Amino acid sequence: MVRLSSGKAVRKTATTTMGSKLLAKKRKAQEPESSSDNELADGAFDGVLSQSEDEFEDAGSDEEEDEDFQDDGDDESGSGSEDAEDDDDALLSDDIPSDVDGEDEITKILKVKYGAKEEKLEITEPGVDPKPKNDGPAEGENYRIETDANGGVRYVYDEIDPVYDSDDSDAQGPVNTIGDIPLSFYDSYPHIGYDINGKKIMRPATGDALQNLLDSIEIPKGWTGLTDTDTGNPLNLSQDELELIKRVQMGLVPEEGYDPYPDAVDWFTNTEEKMPLSAAPEPKRRFLPSKNEAKQIMKLVRAIREGRILPYKPPEERQREEEEKEEVHFDLWQDEVPQAPNPMHIPAPKLPPPGYDLSYNPPEEYLPSKEEREEWEKTDPEERDKEYLPQKHNSLRKVPAWSETVKERFERCMDLYLAPRVRKNRLNIDPNSLLPKLPSPSELKPFPTVAQTVFRGHEGRVRSVAIDPSGVAVASGGDDGTVRVWDLKTGRQVWSVKLSSDEAVNAVRWRPNKDSFILSAAAGEDIFLMVPTHANVTADVDQASRDILAAGFGYAANGQVNMSVPAGKEPPAKWARPGSKLEDEGVLIRITVRSQVKVINWHRRGDHFCTVSPSGQRSSVAIHTLSKHLSQIPFRKLSGLAQTAAFHPLRPLFFVATQRTIRCYDLQKLELVKVVQPGAKWISSFDIHPGGDNLIVGSYDKRLLWHDLDLSARPYKTMRFHSEAIRTVRYHKGGLPLFADCSDDGTLQIFHGKVPNDQLENPTIVPVKMLKGHKVVSKLGVLDLDWHPREPWCVSAGADGTLRLWT
Amino acid sequence: MGRIKKKGQAGQAKNYITRTQAVKKLQISLPDFRKLCIWKGIYPREPRNRKKVSKSSTASTTFYYTKDIQYLLHEPLLQKFRDQKVLEKKISRALGRGDVSDAARFERNAARPEKTGKPRYTLNHVIRERYPTFIDALRDLDDCLSMLFLFANLPSTVAVPAKMIARCERLCLEFQHYLIVSHSLRKSFLSIKGIYYQANIQGEDILWLVPYKFNQRIVGDVDFRIMGTFIEFYMTLLGFVNYRLYTSMGLKYPPKFDQVKDDQAAELGAFALEGVNLVSNGETKAITNGEAEHGPDPKVQAEVNKVIRQLKDADLDGDKPAENGATEGAEEEEKGTDAIDKFEPVAPGGDVLPQPSYSSSDPSTLLSNCTIFLSRETPRQSLEFILRAFGCKRIGWDAVLGEGAFTTDESDPSITHQIVDRPVVQAVTSAGGDGEDNQTAQKVGTNARYPGRVYVQPQWVWDSINDEELKSPELYAPGAQLPPHLSPFVKNTQGAYDPTLPLEAQETEAEALDAELADAAEDGEEEDASENDMDVDEGDEDEDEEDDDFEEFDEDEEVEDDEDDEEASAALQRQRELEAELSGKSVKAKQVDPKTKAKLEAKKALEKKKREEAEDLERAKGMLSKKKRKLFEQMQYTNNKKSAEDMKLRAKRRKLEKELAKGKA
Repeated sequence: MVRLSSGKAVRKTATTTMGSKLLAKKRKAQEPESSSDNELADGAFDGVLSQSEDEFEDAGSDEEEDEDFQDDGDDESGSGSEDAEDDDDALLSDDIPSDVDGEDEITKILKVKYGAKEEKLEITEPGVDPKPKNDGPAEGENYRIETDANGGVRYVYDEIDPVYDSDDSDAQGPVNTIGDIPLSFYDSYPHIGYDINGKKIMRPATGDALQNLLDSIEIPKGWTGLTDTDTGNPLNLSQDELELIKRVQMGLVPEEGYDPYPDAVDWFTNTEEKMPLSAAPEPKRRFLPSKNEAKQIMKLVRAIREGRILPYKPPEERQREEEEKEEVHFDLWQDEVPQAPNPMHIPAPKLPPPGYDLSYNPPEEYLPSKEEREEWEKTDPEERDKEYLPQKHNSLRKVPAWSETVKERFERCMDLYLAPRVRKNRLNIDPNSLLPKLPSPSELKPFPTVAQTVFRGHEGRVRSVAIDPSGVAVASGGDDGTVRVWDLKTGRQVWSVKLSSDEAVNAVRWRPNKDSFILSAAAGEDIFLMVPTHANVTADVDQASRDILAAGFGYAANGQVNMSVPAGKEPPAKWARPGSKLEDEGVLIRITVRSQVKVINWHRRGDHFCTVSPSGQRSSVAIHTLSKHLSQIPFRKLSGLAQTAAFHPLRPLFFVATQRTIRCYDLQKLELVKVVQPGAKWISSFDIHPGGDNLIVGSYDKRLLWHDLDLSARPYKTMRFHSEAIRTVRYHKGGLPLFADCSDDGTLQIFHGKVPNDQLENPTIVPVKMLKGHKVVSKLGVLDLDWHPREPWCVSAGADGTLRLWT
Repeated sequence: MGRIKKKGQAGQAKNYITRTQAVKKLQISLPDFRKLCIWKGIYPREPRNRKKVSKSSTASTTFYYTKDIQYLLHEPLLQKFRDQKVLEKKISRALGRGDVSDAARFERNAARPEKTGKPRYTLNHVIRERYPTFIDALRDLDDCLSMLFLFANLPSTVAVPAKMIARCERLCLEFQHYLIVSHSLRKSFLSIKGIYYQANIQGEDILWLVPYKFNQRIVGDVDFRIMGTFIEFYMTLLGFVNYRLYTSMGLKYPPKFDQVKDDQAAELGAFALEGVNLVSNGETKAITNGEAEHGPDPKVQAEVNKVIRQLKDADLDGDKPAENGATEGAEEEEKGTDAIDKFEPVAPGGDVLPQPSYSSSDPSTLLSNCTIFLSRETPRQSLEFILRAFGCKRIGWDAVLGEGAFTTDESDPSITHQIVDRPVVQAVTSAGGDGEDNQTAQKVGTNARYPGRVYVQPQWVWDSINDEELKSPELYAPGAQLPPHLSPFVKNTQGAYDPTLPLEAQETEAEALDAELADAAEDGEEEDASENDMDVDEGDEDEDEEDDDFEEFDEDEEVEDDEDDEEASAALQRQRELEAELSGKSVKAKQVDPKTKAKLEAKKALEKKKREEAEDLERAKGMLSKKKRKLFEQMQYTNNKKSAEDMKLRAKRRKLEKELAKGKA
C-alpha cells in the first residue's frame, strides 16, 4: 500500500514542469520517510534500495505518466480511504479530507512554501537560454573570441561577478543546467552537469563502499536515497519536511496550527430581511456634499481671510512684526448716545485741588511754626491731618523731588478700586439756617429777668406760693407750718399764722375774686380758709370776705349736708371753726378731709375749689362748695394715683391728672370728655391756658410738654431744658403770652408761648429766660411759682426757705 | 398665614455679595478679579447695615453689589483670563513632565504684557462701556493723566517695562500737543509735589499733577502690578481720547513721530502734526502727507498749513507774522458766525439771563509776541509746554537742554525774555539793564546780560498765565525775593482766609481790637519799661478778661461778673493808688490813655454782644429736634475748626507784618 501510494506520488511529481523539479524531489522524499516509519521496526531494508532504483526509472518515464495525471487523481479518491483505514496513526479517519483534496492541498502548500524559489528559478532559466548565440558582438569588450572544438567562433564571456548590487545577487550557488536528462548519463564523467556559466559541476566526492554500506544500514534521518541533480549529493529531507509528510500521511492538515473549521464570524447578517427597515428612498443628503464640512471649511477660510490663521513665520520675525504693529485707533465715541447715569453708580470723588500751603513758595503765614513742625513730626504718619508740611523755597531750582509721589498715586489707585463708596449727602448749607426763626428776646419783652426781691422768713422749705388776685400780696406756706402773707412791692411780711406745729403747709391759694381777700391753705388733712390782713385791703373787702366765709354756716345748719351723704357713712369732709385762737388771727374755717391734701385749685367764680390728696385712694379728689360748706367726692374710683386737678378757666370742665394721663370731665353732662396722654412717666403738675385750648404739663422726668387740646392727645412740643424734675408749671393769667416752669435744679424757665387767635396756626413757643437764684437744698430746688395777675412778674418758692420775686 | 421668611433670602442680603463670594462665582483668581474690577470700574460698596448684609458670622470687610458681579459674568475679558489660566497650567504641566520644547511652544502663545507691554486683549469695549460719551471720558481724565505722567517719568524696572514707559511718554506728549494746538491749558501751579496743570476741554476742567523731573523714589510697599493694571487701562483710554481730540481739530492721529529727534531729547519737538483732509475719503487718507498736500481743496490746505506752522518752530521773521495775519484775518470772518453774541436788554423790565462770556484775554495771545530763551538751569519741558500753550511760538534754549529749540544762541537779538534761575554773582555792573535794578544786571561770563531783553525767574511764567496778564518783570528779576506763588485753584469762600487780601479786610472785629490792644500794650510796655510794677497789673487785667471769656452763656452770673469786674477794677485802681502813695510815685504813669480805654470798652461791648448771641443760639438750639441739633453741632464743629485755622493764619500774618514793620523802622 505504502509503496503504491508513494509511487503515485512520484509519478505525480513527474508531471510537474521543469521549474518544479525541486518540488518533485521533495515529493519523492516523502516516501522513504513514511516507509521508514513503518518498516524500520521490521528491520527490512530491501525495499529501500529498490525504491531508489525505482526513482531513477520513474524519472525517465515522465512523459508517459503525464497524461494519466487526471485519472490517477480519480483513482486515489477510492484508494485514499483505504489508506486511512490501514494507517495506524489515522485514528481520526472521518476528519481526514479526501485524498484528492489532500494532495491538492499539499501541492498548494508546497507551492506557497517554495514559490519564491520557483520564481527565481524561472527567472534564471531564460537568462541561460540566450547565452551562446547571436547578440554577442555588439558591445564586445567583456568577451573573448575563441574557436571551439568544431572550429566555430566561440565567444567566451568574462565571468559575471555578482557584485553587491548586481541583479542576480541572490542566485544561489551553481545550479545544474543539464535539464531533463537522467543523471546517469554523466555516470562516466567526473562532473554531473554544467552550471549557468557553462562550468562543469564536479561530482562530489563519495565515500568508499563500506561507508556507503554503513550509510545504507543506518539510515540517517531524512534519507531518501536520491541524489540531488544539482550537486550530485544525496538528497535528504529536513525535519520540517518530514513533519509535513507525516501530517499528510495522517490525513491532517499539513500546516500546523491551521484551523480548517474556524467559528463562523457573522460579518454580515445571515438572515435575509424580507422587509427593509425603512422604505424611505435614499435621502438627498447622501448625494450632496456635507454641509457641516462646508461650514467647518468656511470657518477656516474666514479665519484665514480675517487673519486669525496666519501662515507660519519664524518666531523672531513674528515678534518683530508684533512690536511694529501700532495699536489701532479709531473714534470710539462715533455713535455716542448719552445715557442717563446709573443711579447706583457713585463716581469716584476727584482729588481736592492744591491749596496755598502746597505752593513751593507759599505766603509766609502758611509755614509751620516750630511747635507745629514738632507736633507734625511726632504724630504717626497715619494720623496726620496733612501728609506734608508747607515748605518755602527761594527759587524753583531749589525744589527737591517729592519722595511720596509714587506712594500717593498708589494709594489713590487703591482707593479707586478698593475703597467702599458711600453716597453721603453733605448739607452745604449755613448751619444757622437750620435754627428756627425765633423772635428776638427784645420783641418778646416783657418777661421777668432779675430777682427783684427776696422774701426771707420761712424756716425750712417754702412749699407753696400764691399772689392775690389784686396783685398786692403774696401768700406762702412752708415746712414750718406757717402761712405768711407778704407785701409784694416791699417784700415785707405783713401777716403770718401758724396753722400746725407738726404738719407742713402744702398748698396756699387765693380765692380768685377781687371783691374778697380769702386765702385757702392746706396743712396735713386740714384745709383752712382765712382772711389775712393787709394794708391795701379795705375794711369793706375784709368784711365781705368774712361774710362769704360765714354764709355757709347757716346753710350747713339747715342740715343740707346730710342730704348728700348717705347716713351711716362718714362725710368726706368736716367743716368747722378752727378755734378761737386761730379765729382771732383771721383763720375762719377748718375743713378736715380724710387724707393729706397736696393741691388746692379754685374755680374761677370762687364758689368751688378742688383739693387733691394723692394718698387718699377713692377720696383723693374732692370738690368743695364754699357757699354751702359742702364737700363732694366726684369719683368713686380713679384709675391711677391722682396728682393734681383743676377747673377749666372758661367752660364747665374739670381736669384730673393721674401719674400718666390727664382726664377731662364735663361737669354738666358728668362724663369723660378727653384723655390727654403727655407720655411723661410721672406728671407733677399741669396748667391750662387762659384761652382754654392749650395745656402745659410738667413731669418729674424733666419734661415740659405743651398740648394743643384740639389737635391731639399727644404733646405738640416737648421741651427738655431742665436737668432735674419739674415741679410746677404755670401760665400767666393776665393776658401776657408767658409761661414758666420751675425745677429741682434750682432754676425757673420763662417761655414765650403765644397762642394765635387763628385756629389753623400753631402756637409759637420760645424759650426766653432761665432764672437762676434759688439754691438747691437736699436735691430740691424751686418748689412752686406763681404769676402776677397783670404784670410780667413771678414769684417762686424755693427749698432754701426764700421766696423770690422776678421782674 | 404667609410663608415664613428666611434670613438672607431677600432685601439687602441679596443685594450685596462679599468679595470671596464674588471671586468664587466668577471662578477666577483674586488677582484676575482685581484686574477686572479695576478695568470695569467696579468698586466695593458700604451697605447701610453691615449686619443685615453679611450672611456669615465673621465680619466681612468688602461688599460688592450683586448686580455688578452678575454684570461681570458676561465680560469677554473673563474668557481671556480663563484661557490664560489654562495656558499657564499647560506650561507648568509641560515643565513638570520635563518637556521643555512643549513648554517653550506654549510660552510663545502666552501673552506677557509685563514683558512686552502688549496684551492679547484690548480694552476698547470696556472704555466704551464705562464712558458712553466722550464727555464722560474727559470727566474721568484727572487720574488717568496723573498716572501716565508719573509713569512717563519712572525708571524702567522689572515691574515697569521700558516699553510701557515709552508709550506713556508718547501719549502724554501727544496730549500736550493737543493742548498746545487748542490752547486749552488754563492754569498751572508749582507745588512742592510737582506741577499741577489745569486744562479746559469741551467745558470740562481737568486737573493733573506732573512730578518734577527727578528720579522717583520708589517705596517698598508699592505694588506695581496694581498700578500696571491701571496704566494699561489708562493708556488705552488716553489713546482713544487723543484720537478723538486730534480728529476734532482736523489733525491726523497718531502724529508723525521722529525717532531721531526724540533720541536727541526733543520731547515735544519730536512730533509733527499733520492735518487730515476731512473731505476726502479713505483713499486719500492712505496717501502720504507730501502727496496730500497736493489736495484739491485750497481752503483745507490753508488750514492744515496753519496748524503745522503753529507748531513748528517756524523760521519766524518779518514776513511770517504778515502771512499769519492775513490768514487769521480771513479766518476771523469765518469764525464770526460761531462766536457768541452779546445780548443786551433793549427795553427795561425783562429778566437778565446769565450769559457765557469769553475771558478778557485769549490764552492763545498772551505770550504770542514774546521770544523766550530758557537758560540751562530752568525746567525746559514744563516751560516749553506752558509757553507754547499760551501762544509763544519762538522758544529757544541752551543746547544742553535738548533738540528742537528755536535758537540755541543766547545772543540772538530777537529774544525778548530770558528765563533764568541762578544766583546772582556780584560783578561789574553794566548800563544795559532795561528797567531792572542795575545791581542785578551783569555782564560777566555766563552771567552775561544782553541788553534789550527782560530777565525773569520761572515763576513769572506761572504767575502770568494764572492771572492771564504779563506780570511786571521787576518783581521776578533774578535774585529778587519772589512774591508768594499762590494756587489758582483755590476758590475763596466768604470768611475764609485769603492771603491776597490785606489783613484788615478780613479779620474780625474782635481780632482787630485784640491786635490794637496788644499793640498799645506793647507800646505802653516800651514806654514804661523802667517801671516793674506795671507788669503785674497787666497780668491781672488779662486774667480778668480771660475770666470773662470763660463765663459765657449764663447771663445772671455774667451780669454779676460785669459788676464784679468793675468793682474789681475799681478796687485795683484804689490798690494802685495806695501802692503809689507808699512808694512815693505818681499814679499817673499807670493811667491808661483814653484811646486804649475806649478800645477796651469797645472790646467789652463786643464780648457782651458775643455772649448774647451765644445765648440766643442756645435758645434756638433748644427748639431743634435731636436729629437736627446733632447735625447743627456737627456743622458748627467743622466750621469752627476751619475758622480756628483761619484765625491762626491771620495771627501769624499779623505777627509777620509787625516784624516787617519793625524791621523797616
